[in-house]
Amino acid sequence: MLRRWKQAAFLAALAALVATVFGGATGIASARTEDRTASKHFRIMGFGPGDEIANVRADLATEALARADADVQNPSGGFDDQKFLAALASRDVPDIVYMDRKKIGSYAARGVLVPLNSCIKNQKLKMSQYRKVSVASVTYKGRIYGIPEFTNPITIIAVNSVLRDAGVKPADLNTRNWAKLRTAAKKMYKSSDGKVTRIGFDPKLPEFFPLWAKSLGLNLLSKNGLRASLNHPKAIQALTYANQLIKDQGGFDRFNAFKQSWDFFGNKNQVDQAQVGAWPQESWYYAVLARTTKAELTAVPFRNKAGGQITYLQGNAWAIPKGSKLQGLACTWARVVTAPGSWYKAVKVRFDNQRRLGRPFTGTFTANRTADVKIFEDLYQSFGSKAYDNAVRLLVNVQKYGFEQPASPAGAEYYQAMQDAINRMLSGKQTPRAALNQAQREAQTAINKAKK
Amino acid sequence: MTRARRWLSGFGKRETWAAYLFLVPWIFGFLALTAGPMIISLYLSFTNYGLEQIAGIEPTKRVGLEHYHELANDDKITLALKNTFVYTLMMVPGTMIVALALAMVLMRISKALGDVFRTVFYLPQITPPVAVGVLILTLFNGSFGLVNRGLEFIGIQGPFWTTDPSWIKPALAIMSIWAVGGTMVIYLAALAGVPKHLYEAAEVDGASAWRRFKDVTLPMISPALFFTFIVLTIAGLQTFTEAYTAFFGPGTGGAENPDAALFYAIYLFREAFVNFHMGYAAAMSWLLFAIIMVITLFQVFVSRRFVFYQGQR
Amino acid sequence: MADRPQGPVGVGAAATVPVPPVVMTRRRWSLPRVGAYKQALFILLLIVLSILFVYPFLWLISASLKPQGEVFDNRLIPNTIVDPWYDNFSEVLDRAPVATWFFNSVWISGLGALLVTFTSAMVAFAFAYFQFPGRTILFAIVLGTMMLPNAVTMIPTYLIWTRIGDFTEAHSFLPHIGVNTQYPLWVPNMFGSAFYIFLQRQFFLGIPRQLFEAARIDGDSYWTMFWRIAVPLAKPALIVTFIFEIQAKWFDLITPLIYLTEDKLFTLPLGIKVLLDRYGVGGGGEGEWNIIVAGTVILVVPMVIIFALFQRYFVSGITTQGGKG
Repeated sequence: MLRRWKQAAFLAALAALVATVFGGATGIASARTEDRTASKHFRIMGFGPGDEIANVRADLATEALARADADVQNPSGGFDDQKFLAALASRDVPDIVYMDRKKIGSYAARGVLVPLNSCIKNQKLKMSQYRKVSVASVTYKGRIYGIPEFTNPITIIAVNSVLRDAGVKPADLNTRNWAKLRTAAKKMYKSSDGKVTRIGFDPKLPEFFPLWAKSLGLNLLSKNGLRASLNHPKAIQALTYANQLIKDQGGFDRFNAFKQSWDFFGNKNQVDQAQVGAWPQESWYYAVLARTTKAELTAVPFRNKAGGQITYLQGNAWAIPKGSKLQGLACTWARVVTAPGSWYKAVKVRFDNQRRLGRPFTGTFTANRTADVKIFEDLYQSFGSKAYDNAVRLLVNVQKYGFEQPASPAGAEYYQAMQDAINRMLSGKQTPRAALNQAQREAQTAINKAKK
Repeated sequence: MTRARRWLSGFGKRETWAAYLFLVPWIFGFLALTAGPMIISLYLSFTNYGLEQIAGIEPTKRVGLEHYHELANDDKITLALKNTFVYTLMMVPGTMIVALALAMVLMRISKALGDVFRTVFYLPQITPPVAVGVLILTLFNGSFGLVNRGLEFIGIQGPFWTTDPSWIKPALAIMSIWAVGGTMVIYLAALAGVPKHLYEAAEVDGASAWRRFKDVTLPMISPALFFTFIVLTIAGLQTFTEAYTAFFGPGTGGAENPDAALFYAIYLFREAFVNFHMGYAAAMSWLLFAIIMVITLFQVFVSRRFVFYQGQR
Repeated sequence: MADRPQGPVGVGAAATVPVPPVVMTRRRWSLPRVGAYKQALFILLLIVLSILFVYPFLWLISASLKPQGEVFDNRLIPNTIVDPWYDNFSEVLDRAPVATWFFNSVWISGLGALLVTFTSAMVAFAFAYFQFPGRTILFAIVLGTMMLPNAVTMIPTYLIWTRIGDFTEAHSFLPHIGVNTQYPLWVPNMFGSAFYIFLQRQFFLGIPRQLFEAARIDGDSYWTMFWRIAVPLAKPALIVTFIFEIQAKWFDLITPLIYLTEDKLFTLPLGIKVLLDRYGVGGGGEGEWNIIVAGTVILVVPMVIIFALFQRYFVSGITTQGGKG
């Protein structure tokens, strides 16, 4: 009896297998379904459905393409290097890709992306509306390879209660005056029982090291992306200072252990719990804070040695891979999706939704100057906190003093070399000078090997 | 008959053809889907295959042994190999011992409870590696993590597991051993297959618990021990996911990717998919292959004396 | 099942006594039971260890019940539970075709596991039972396939599938098999897999030779010996294979990632990654971790259930019953 049951099971499995292979029985194994009414099929990689800001603009662009008799495939999921490589290898590339601007530099410099100069001319795309530095970071050897989105400008967030408690004023956090900043950090720092219980000022190493170097006027990577200056005396100086801040506040092990214990995205975050005095952070975090805590904060700009405001920008961009069959449409898509009108409509939807849910809106920074101004002037409304109003105003204004990582054929290796060096220094294995010397060697070798 | 002739004459026997018939699925799959890519990757290790070649922008050129020379001179390779070996040396014996101990304990308690505990101990195996990576950072936090708080409770000052280079690999090894469920399950299956009358006979002969273990259990489960020994070693030498998620993934912010966690597979992945040095990565793969092959042969040779099969001819 | 007379079986005993096939009984535990005191001690030890093992799971489940701002507050018992308690889960199901992805994963994992168990058993049996020229070399090659890290073979394999896809498209009577379909995810399972072949070979080798000899004498074909003797006796190994492969396929991210481009074909881990991209912080999302954690729970819980259901099968050892009862 058992035997017969087993036989039946085996036959059933076999039958199912045959049915699948030859029937596509459940339709699951079948291949692409396309809207057979449109004549052209436009494929995107790296974007996908998202929040209102993404979807509204995508809908507008989809309509524009529909008028050109094309339908749009926008599969979910962010950009993946492996997936893109596989597509390149099989010569079956998408028509447009969406990825981090830092990556575009590497791909562009290796010839995998199509320069947009001709499409910009044909579609009369006004490049002046986009932020110069954002466009520059996707320009290699004079050719533009991407249309930028988002800037995420960095400002210093200061927690009022901690400043008050330590007798520190926001003016003391001026990064122009390193000695004063160091004193302020030490005043706000607290520890007990061998553990850090409050960080005064977090210099955010290694991520924001380029910002520290820039405050001394140094570009760690030249504008053409071909020369690294990681062991320049100013770089060593900046790194030594930032490291000193960490050493003053418990040393890296304890400092980092404490940082990791923060409830960064939650209701009991480090601002709410007064666990930190001040630290530089990207703009999107203001939205998290506005939603989660009533603790008061002050936005302070990062300044260079001359006292001027500076900030570091990063974001995404649209690019066209070599072998894309619908380059004209790709250009249209990029143009519509980043047009000031599209941004405005999208942000308005988000703003209205947030207001309906009772949540504050802390600005969107689009890499399109025209859009930014329009959004701030026409859309942004105070939700009752002067601190956030000032923060948003600062974020809008500071972008013009921003800089980005330039496009480079070995951008990833350069960044890795810098990170590794700083991590080695932080764990005590090397001095700043030795670490950066090694980084410079590694980065420059990689760039030299990769450039043509 | 000469040896070659005797070997060839084996093909005349019906048994041989039957065997090959049973092997057909694997042989077909190997030729169609496995051998090709393996050979191609070997070939690529002698070329300049990179991003431009993948995209068809530039032709693939042979560069001979250049990549292998590079391997010999690359400091990071030495570092990666050292990290990988140390980790494997910690992980393999640790996992085998803990798994066997757990399996034996589980065999001795009542059935219902055993079912529950078995599932519990298997749970780590089905925790997504991504979650494990996050967990490593939380549990092993030097100041506030549970591990150190537990150690403090018994008066030991725990190290900074996630930032101190000397303690990162032990932390990762412990996390691996925590995922002991898979190995444990294999040992459970093996222990269940030990003929009961052997234990009875040994008891009748007056053997102590330790002797029963040494002379009955171990030999009878030696096929499973052999298997896990080899497979765990191969897995250890290729370890990637947990360490990558904890120390190199996009969510870490870069402050935790120290040299001490640079395992060979992670370095390989980076060279292939971040830096696009595919040819070099291929050379790295085959270097690892050779190393694993040598180690496995050594293991097989050493185990020959200790593995006992009931059914082998 | 016992339709033949019983007789003594001895390990290593010379096959002078005609040995009948085995009487199959379900024995749960092969090791002698221990006294109650020792049992209690063991149980205590296990409970302590269990806490360690179960904690992350409980954390996951508890986090999936929390509102967005409290996911990482490190409290095992949620401070606030979302209202209704399944709210995060219904959000996940609302925002993404999670049900479709779930079904895709069930289909691919189940089918793949079934296929690989069966085919690996065939191959493993060949290596365990037969003596034939080329056995050592072929087995070495099988092992060898486990030793090459698959990062580099990924792209060439992808290219092979592209060729297969082109071929099937050119001959329209064939269904479309290639990239952008789910075939590359489970078809390789039709050819056995080195890990399971090795595992099952070990277990097949543990079956006393006499059982096969007796069957041969009785005139059984090789296939019958495989199907009627080897497979039932090595059932623990087969079930282990089945479960391991279900899990491996279920959690595999990289293969679906590079082969699938249509949302409705995605598997669950790929779906979770999509959620992470969309609602985590990286993509400009707002860090809606409660949604992501709920998705992860959906990912993980079925595997727990499967294991819980199947686990007793591979410890119910099948023993050969001796004449001394």
